[in-house]
Amino acid sequence: MSSFMSTKPRTTRRQMLFDSYLGLGGLALSSMLAQAKQHHAAKAKNCIFLFFEGGVSQMDLFEYKPELIKRAGQQMPKAARTEGELATFSEAPNRIIPPYWDFKQHGKSGRWMSALVPNLAKQADKLAFVHGIKVDNNNHGPAVYHSLTGNQFPGSASIGAWMTYGLGTENKDLPGFIVMGDRRGATIGGASVWGNGYLPAEYQGTLFRNGSTPIVDLNPHGSLEEQRAELDLLKKFNEQHLADRTNTLELEARIAAYELAFRMQSKAPELVDLTKESDATRKLYGMDDPVTEPFGRQCLLARRMVERGVRFVKLLHGAGGDRWDDHGNIKERLPVHCQEVDKPVAGLLADLESRGLLDSTLVVWASEMGRTPFDNNLTTDKPGRDHNQYGLCMWMAGGGVKAGATFGETDDFSVRAANEEIPMRDVHATLLHLMGLDQNRLTYLHAGRYKKLTDIGGRVITEVLA
Amino acid sequence: MRSLALLLAGLTPLLAAADATAILKQYCGDCHSPRARTSGFSIEHVLEAGARRGPAVVPGHPELSPLVKLLKGELTPRMPMGRPLAAEDIATIEAWIQKMPAPAKAVTSEYRWPFEKPKKHATFTEIDQFLAAKWKDAGITPAQPADTRTLVRRVYFDLIGLPPTPEELANAPEYEKLIDKLLADPRYGERWGRHWLDLARYGETSGLEGDGAIGNAWRYRDWVIDAFNRNMPYDKFVIAQLAGGDEHSKTRNNYQPDPQGYVPTGFLRVAPWDRSNLVAADVRQNYLSEVTTVTSSVFLGLTTGCARCHDHKYDPIPQKDYYRLQAFFNTTQPGGVPDVPFRDKEFADKAAAKVKELEDRAANGPEKKALEELEKQLLPKLIAARAQRSSGTVEYKKADLRLELRLKKQRIFTEAEKQHYLELKEAAERTGDTDEQAPLDALEDQWMPRLIEAYKTIDPKGRFEALDKEDVRREAMAEYSGKSIFTQEEKARYGELNSRIEELRNRADRWRPHVLGVTPVAGPPTGPDVAPTRILIRGDYRQPGEAVEPGFLSAITGSSTPAALETDRYRQFPTRGWRLTLAKWIASKDNPLTARVIVNRIWRQHFGDGIVRTTSDFGKNGDRPSHPELLDTLAVQFMESGWDIKALHKRILMSQAYRLSSDNPEADKKDPDNRLLARFNRRRLEAEAIRDSILHVSGRLNSERGGPSVFPPLPADLADFARYGRSGGVMWESNDKEEDARRRSVYVFQRRSLPLPMMASFDAIVFSESCERRTNTTTPLQALNMMNGDLVREEASHLAKRAKAASREEEVRNVFQLALQREPKPAELQLFGSFKGSLESICKVVLESNEFLYVD
Repeated sequence: MSSFMSTKPRTTRRQMLFDSYLGLGGLALSSMLAQAKQHHAAKAKNCIFLFFEGGVSQMDLFEYKPELIKRAGQQMPKAARTEGELATFSEAPNRIIPPYWDFKQHGKSGRWMSALVPNLAKQADKLAFVHGIKVDNNNHGPAVYHSLTGNQFPGSASIGAWMTYGLGTENKDLPGFIVMGDRRGATIGGASVWGNGYLPAEYQGTLFRNGSTPIVDLNPHGSLEEQRAELDLLKKFNEQHLADRTNTLELEARIAAYELAFRMQSKAPELVDLTKESDATRKLYGMDDPVTEPFGRQCLLARRMVERGVRFVKLLHGAGGDRWDDHGNIKERLPVHCQEVDKPVAGLLADLESRGLLDSTLVVWASEMGRTPFDNNLTTDKPGRDHNQYGLCMWMAGGGVKAGATFGETDDFSVRAANEEIPMRDVHATLLHLMGLDQNRLTYLHAGRYKKLTDIGGRVITEVLA
Repeated sequence: MRSLALLLAGLTPLLAAADATAILKQYCGDCHSPRARTSGFSIEHVLEAGARRGPAVVPGHPELSPLVKLLKGELTPRMPMGRPLAAEDIATIEAWIQKMPAPAKAVTSEYRWPFEKPKKHATFTEIDQFLAAKWKDAGITPAQPADTRTLVRRVYFDLIGLPPTPEELANAPEYEKLIDKLLADPRYGERWGRHWLDLARYGETSGLEGDGAIGNAWRYRDWVIDAFNRNMPYDKFVIAQLAGGDEHSKTRNNYQPDPQGYVPTGFLRVAPWDRSNLVAADVRQNYLSEVTTVTSSVFLGLTTGCARCHDHKYDPIPQKDYYRLQAFFNTTQPGGVPDVPFRDKEFADKAAAKVKELEDRAANGPEKKALEELEKQLLPKLIAARAQRSSGTVEYKKADLRLELRLKKQRIFTEAEKQHYLELKEAAERTGDTDEQAPLDALEDQWMPRLIEAYKTIDPKGRFEALDKEDVRREAMAEYSGKSIFTQEEKARYGELNSRIEELRNRADRWRPHVLGVTPVAGPPTGPDVAPTRILIRGDYRQPGEAVEPGFLSAITGSSTPAALETDRYRQFPTRGWRLTLAKWIASKDNPLTARVIVNRIWRQHFGDGIVRTTSDFGKNGDRPSHPELLDTLAVQFMESGWDIKALHKRILMSQAYRLSSDNPEADKKDPDNRLLARFNRRRLEAEAIRDSILHVSGRLNSERGGPSVFPPLPADLADFARYGRSGGVMWESNDKEEDARRRSVYVFQRRSLPLPMMASFDAIVFSESCERRTNTTTPLQALNMMNGDLVREEASHLAKRAKAASREEEVRNVFQLALQREPKPAELQLFGSFKGSLESICKVVLESNEFLYVD
């Protein structure tokens, strides 16, 4: 009989319960010095998660809806609007805004994409799309939390924290989970959306800033020699302290942590030093153009991070008033943001592929919500689209993803799923699965419950798996 | 409890069982493993109660077994989800159940201990008696008593979160007097109040979009600190937070509660707050769920949150009980709290002066002057650009008419006409309704031809002279405009000045006597009826079910009868007293959980582990108590003492067990987790204690108490993230004075999206959910904060100034005394003596050392 059935449940359960709950010092040590395991074999080892804050308009980039062109300027039909459920800022008459940009089919997969993302369109065959994803809330704050932590309120662990908790880190000299924010300012939720929530603090995302000092307190103030001398003294002092004591696991870990930190000081600047990248590479990411340079730099850094074994890289684009929240003047605003990211993201995909990294990297395009097909009348002469919690569109690419696949479909107006509504937890289950993690086994005891990213559990979207 | 394995081993034909279990494992094991327990069901526990349908298997009766019904699709959802089993596999399982003999007797493993009232031990009264009995049973010898220095430091850190000064150590009174002295020290409240704030998920911002301040949360923080310092009896402490301002008078009609009572209800208001959700019913239900869940986990140590959507899987808490509990909050609204004057006259005067100073500066200060200057520069630019853009326009719109009408000196219309227009305009704008808009529209239609006619003879561009600084503001702050008239720099400058003035106003507001708390809704006779609480199917506000009355947990009271609400006998305020009813039940000696839960929490802070280690979960899924009779005895003693928290501290601290050394290698072999406490648990200081201690030993800790929160400087290169968007609000403000940055950590502003990096890396994020236990991690980022951060470096230099002496040896002695309160050993003197670096470096090393960060 298998060991599974012959273990005594009570002891096993209890044991596991407190391993995670109480063995915290030990836990930190083990994952710092050793590696956790995948639950099942998976190609993707690292994940680059691109998040576009504000709510990307799916029907202007990725969903071709001729009905909107046909009905441009007409009032949104009531039935399709699913009145009462789509809580928006809008008031009547909700006139339909057509996509202002041409749509064409691209690649072998025949994927429709608009002229807003010409470079990404060239990579169309690498992408697997999911349409009609539903988030729990129709406003940014809760929706951002829901897409990034599985819970619309702050306090839960973010996807990157879960993955790092499950898989450990590959490169001890760098953080396992790195976040790069938009230089235009703080993003919604800030530290809480790359936070550890109830997981131990070592699974917090580490915020990388722009410039040569990516991590807070990375650089010594004096010379490296002075610092080394201090650290040598500290080490000896700590060792004498240790020698007088028993139960020293945690004390030893802290001694080791200083050495890790010392190495990080040189490894992190090396990571962000792009001078060794060729002009061709920099160009590929659009770093030769001031519009695409900021996000291009971050995408290039993301590649360098996964190259060095950083488990999870999260890039945030859009902040404050300058994000994808095109309530008004979508005609002029949306192209700006698309232009900022189109070439960098396409460059990232191409570069990962040419270096043989795409197979082991999962790339995700996400936002917190979709948008409505109709105007929300915030400005009279420059229409824009409202929030739509039923219409989020995401794509994935890379390791384990079925390139060119599509799952889910929205109705003719791109309001909500035409058939099966896809809850966000399905997407989360799929992302974990692609990284070799089982949503039901990746748990952490908190406040009397085994917490998991997908809460009540989602369905792995097998349709987008290779 | 019987496991499948036990049963199989003895009773069932092995082969059939192996086949059946292999099938279950293969197809169901992913979701229904003992760990994942999706829907609360594990196939390993197939003979025990399943989730909703009782035991999954009825031995001998496959046709009655829910397991088989689910596999066949007779019950939904058909299992395994999405891919039914092959018929022969189902047949194998049926055959297996068919052959299974009936169990000898029913499975009863109800875990009743937490729900039965604690009783004192028959003979033992002292902590040490309980512990010694277990040591004896386990054949363990306790550790040696800790030496005096270790013990004094231990008590200092434990009670006030700071080390003693060398003088305090040298002159420490006898142990019991030392405990009394520290319990009377106001820094005790700052330390223990912080522990409570963890439980209360204390934060000062919404946590959601923009993460704005939610109000003067700091008044709740000060109330908590003060309550600990005044040793408020715990039952009063509970009632105040759940039901402050909710009381009646039995003898006076029209009684108005003391507004001071609203301050502690911040407990029900400091959670993350979603102001932006547009579905009111959703917002309301999320609020109610949050306070219901947090109330039961914090005060009762029960995780009722599960029962929002379904009956609790582990504990005897049906879904109905959850909503009966929630119903006590049905008449509660967040907000509505009047200003509550500061009790301390001196503080009130200071606060009033601060408000005036900051308001004056916002109105006339340098920021305001600079903004006005900028507006003056931008206005002509705006006028010129608009005029420029309009050139060539022949078709005039209503917008042009409106602008023309705004001119100070009317060129086309008479003053009387303008007045008439303004009246119509005001009426239209007041409601925004179309019927109010119509007369204005009509008037504008009528006047358009006059405008067009007049513009043939007068200069149409003249209308742009009507633009003013409001238009400058609109243009500068516009989010949805296309090409702006102003440059990015001008917009950024405008936004920055604007937000600096806003910051001054915010700062002024923090000094006002505003309070963050809850109040009862009006209710009849002055307000509308309150809709009853309904069970929500699957916890969904869109699926209301049966209506319920407020009631206590049936697992504790043994009945589901509604609670007798303590409402107003004069029927003037029927919405008051609901929460009070609940609070009094929680804070009652008859409640089996309340005293145990708080005693266990306090025990955990002192010893590092609880008697029940899952301090917010006393249910079946939680930990079993290591010393149940001890906890029960302490709980009864605690209630008998009048819920006296300081007396409880003292009882624990006076035990011999608390005074043991933290090394006991022999005992560790038998009891590696130290459940029996045969030694003390060495612990790393929490983030707050680390920061406070560093400032304390450098001599620079600002010991000012209470008041609005402070903003220690962020690391310089975090500036990008200190602002919400390019022109948005300031996320991290400036302080009134430099030394505010050096106040104790409990006074640092708690912004959920922006914790101080060092605090966050040492496990002190700003909490959004109740935190019953800080995680304790060891990471390289902490090391970087210590090695390279401003705090350690600056304070090390101040420590060095304090330690300065004629010789290096003397300096090393001084550093050791100040930071570690001991003499260096000869080996240490040699180690530090031979160090070639600066005294500052030596100070840094000592502050970074394990000895500084860990308490023995």
